[in-house]
Amino acid sequence: MNFKFIILFSTILFWNSATMNSQNAEDLLQKMDDLIAAPTDREATVIMVMTDKSGKEKIREASLKQKGRFKKLYRYTKPEKQAGIATLTLPDNVIWLYMPAFNKPMRISLLSKNQAFSGTDFSQEDMSGLPYSDRYTPKIIDSNSENYKLELTPKNKKNKYSKIILTLDKTHLFPKKMEYFDKNNKYFKLATYAYDKQGKYWYAKNVLMKSILKNHSTEITFKSIKFDQDLSDDLFLVENLKLKKD
Amino acid sequence: MNLVKFSKNIVSLKWFIILLVLVSTLYLGNQTRYLTIDADILQSLPDHDLDAKLLKQIGKEFGGNNMGVIILETDNIYQTKVLEHIQVITDTLTNIDGIASVSSLTNIINIKGGEYGIEIGKLVDEYELPESPEELQSLRNNVLSNEMYRGSIVSDDDTSSLIIFTLEEKVDVKKVADLVIHKTEALRFPEKLYYIGSPMLVTYISNLMRKDLTNLLPIAFLVIAIILFLSFRSVVGVILPLLTAVISIIWTLGIMSILGFKMSMISNNIPIILLAIGSAYSIHVINRINQIGQINTSEATSTALSQILIPVSLAAITTIIGFVSFIFGAYLEMIVEFGIFTALGTLFASLLALFFVPAIFEVFKIKTRKKDLENKKAFLSEKFLIPLNKLLFKHPKTIVGLWLVLISISVVGIFFINRSVDIQEYFKKDNPTRLAENIMVEKFGGTKPIFVLFKGNMQSPEVLKKMIQASEYMEKNPDINTSMSFAKLISELNFALTNNRRIPDDIEKIEQLWFLLEGNEGMSRFVNEDLTEGIIISKFKSPDNESKKEFAKYMNDFIEKNSTKDCEIQITGMPFVDITMDQSLINSQIGSILIAILFVIIFVGMILRSWLSGIYASIPIITAIIILFGVMGLTGISLNIATVLVASVALGIGIDYSIHIISHFNDSIKENKDLQKAIQDSILISGKAIIINVISVSAGFLVLVFSDMVPLQYFGLLISISMFSSCLGALTLLPAILILVNRKKTA
Repeated sequence: MNFKFIILFSTILFWNSATMNSQNAEDLLQKMDDLIAAPTDREATVIMVMTDKSGKEKIREASLKQKGRFKKLYRYTKPEKQAGIATLTLPDNVIWLYMPAFNKPMRISLLSKNQAFSGTDFSQEDMSGLPYSDRYTPKIIDSNSENYKLELTPKNKKNKYSKIILTLDKTHLFPKKMEYFDKNNKYFKLATYAYDKQGKYWYAKNVLMKSILKNHSTEITFKSIKFDQDLSDDLFLVENLKLKKD
Repeated sequence: MNLVKFSKNIVSLKWFIILLVLVSTLYLGNQTRYLTIDADILQSLPDHDLDAKLLKQIGKEFGGNNMGVIILETDNIYQTKVLEHIQVITDTLTNIDGIASVSSLTNIINIKGGEYGIEIGKLVDEYELPESPEELQSLRNNVLSNEMYRGSIVSDDDTSSLIIFTLEEKVDVKKVADLVIHKTEALRFPEKLYYIGSPMLVTYISNLMRKDLTNLLPIAFLVIAIILFLSFRSVVGVILPLLTAVISIIWTLGIMSILGFKMSMISNNIPIILLAIGSAYSIHVINRINQIGQINTSEATSTALSQILIPVSLAAITTIIGFVSFIFGAYLEMIVEFGIFTALGTLFASLLALFFVPAIFEVFKIKTRKKDLENKKAFLSEKFLIPLNKLLFKHPKTIVGLWLVLISISVVGIFFINRSVDIQEYFKKDNPTRLAENIMVEKFGGTKPIFVLFKGNMQSPEVLKKMIQASEYMEKNPDINTSMSFAKLISELNFALTNNRRIPDDIEKIEQLWFLLEGNEGMSRFVNEDLTEGIIISKFKSPDNESKKEFAKYMNDFIEKNSTKDCEIQITGMPFVDITMDQSLINSQIGSILIAILFVIIFVGMILRSWLSGIYASIPIITAIIILFGVMGLTGISLNIATVLVASVALGIGIDYSIHIISHFNDSIKENKDLQKAIQDSILISGKAIIINVISVSAGFLVLVFSDMVPLQYFGLLISISMFSSCLGALTLLPAILILVNRKKTA
């Protein structure tokens, strides 16, 4: 009788702690998503530096305008040869590409989200802006005075990653590090975030994505960032892609 | 006499010699552990050949040499189960450390024009494979309608599909290739899997080489041991020749290792060759010590040594000349290496026979066995040599006449000799690599890579248009199925965007299309990082040399007309290297034979102090070489990188028989002035040693017939044929000529 009680009690206790863990973890991930998407809109100059295994660098520069989570407009300014190329991301994974030389916007259907984003170490999915809490099931695997460590398991089997180990700042709940594991559970990518605060918002001032096996990295830096500029919806219209002036 | 004194000195230094041999063998034996196998024929291509140099450079820059292919063969590729299997193989390969990228039907990127723009995705959704007949048919239509996939990733008859993978730089190619085979075979799929491409080929060859070494060396060892036992009927007669051969092998391989050389598909045979010829020198020394020992036991070793020193040195030097002659005119570096190290091994074997064997005899006070030798001598003499001697005197003209007939037939045969530089001929017909090659030729346009290198601005419309023009021109040749290049990718993208397959006239359009391709893993196969160089990749179908020459001429015409300062065009590929290699087979063959014959005549003439003797000595071996080529021509054995070695090796070894006969004849006629006695002595005394030598050397080489590599089978067979014909020439043609010439003189 006592034995059965102990089992029952410990099962309830374990179940409870497991549920609490998942609740806490989901809560934490949700809060991280909220922090990332907190500003109504943002404007910035984005500098991408891609470094190959021999240390050779390629630099791209674009102006970014973002409204909400899903409306994003990148207009490239550097290198000169690609200046004017613009990508407009809209809700429901709709992407429009504008190449000035062709002078017409083209919708791109990305059937493969796992594909690298135009020569960077980020995949299309990394750049999608979809909330992590929608895509992953989190579990707290460690915690210390400064950070939480969460294991994120994808909800969708089509995901390229088998898991992501997320290091989350305990005080402000912004991501500090994400370690990506491929389908064979091999650690293959590392993202390191440097967060800064401007006004009331925390934002990733710098993100470094390193492909461990390829020894290739992409560093994205946000400069001259401005929040809540009341950006007009018109900026995110396909027909306005053609316009040189935003 | 100096020779006697020298021989006595050798004997007196017996302990020092044994110690020196022991220490050197231990040290060099330890070094052999570091000797590795390198079966990559590309690495052996010489840098002085511009085609070969460019091929190596392109392979390095664009990664073409690191590409492996798995062919999956079944009744119909377009079945969900088959696609699943392709996907599992793709995933399995992706998971192997050392593999940089994998591309197959289930993960290949597909860019196509849609109703509203372009679709960038995969040809097959790996998470939702096509299942219904309509979906499978649609996939088939997609493949067939796209030039980039049709006949490149799936064969036109729907029965085979390729899974292409590239290796990372600086990986252990063999280890990765072995893992590829092991892991994919372990899946036990019902479809047939074949492996091809440089990493797989190199691995296959090195596995065969290893197998040959471990299987054939013990057999050769055993065969030679049996022959030695039958000849000498004593344990010493077996152990000592084999021991000296083994020590010379260890020294040679040890030195190869210290100098940083690797075992190639040619030098892999050094151990067997040294076993066969290296034991011969000790046989002569032991034989002579045995002979002398029956008369004078106290100084048998040094006396025997003083007599045998010159003949053994002469035999060794002529053999060394045969091997060294490969340095001149050989195209592949591995043939030069083979020549140098086999020559070195021969030198070691002869030195060991002259220094180490007598030292062992002295230290262990080995006694000779008189009775058996006498019996053996009697058997050979009575049944063969005495009747032969009689025949020679009776019908010298008929004998010479018969040889002339044989030579005439062989000369005719020479005109039918085929040359082959096709690496596939290295494998037996049922070897999986050869079957894979056949599938590649029949269904995927071959395996021999062709690269057209363009130097210029890879975003310039003019350069890209010229690339397309070159592709179209090239594809008109019947041996070219399809070609791929950066220009074709740009034109495909342009088609997806504008429904127009032309290269855009506007450079800005190309620069912006590059935005879509940049960073794609496959791009480094077509253009370099700075976009200053790009290549057209294609494959050549025919193994026929004339087709290759025609194609080279055809393409060079185009290059001559179209290469400019702003768009420099060069072409290379295995067919181009094959042409040079093929030509070099003849050059190297003629060069090495002429040099070897010339040196042998000079050398033998000098030692025997008669140029005429040098020329006579060369007659049986030249005859043997003519017969060798005649046999090759009449039986269809082609001249290739292995059989091209036969003539010079045969010359180096076979000349010894004539030297023995002619030096014996000269000595005897000087002493007795009696032609009949001189011939009889030469035939009866030297003839016996020659026959034993031929049997043991040929038996050693004949073991190569069991090799897994076809040219080496022929190599063994042809050397044995040459040994027999040069022995027969030395015992019949040479004495018949000597009889005819000297009869005239005396008459």
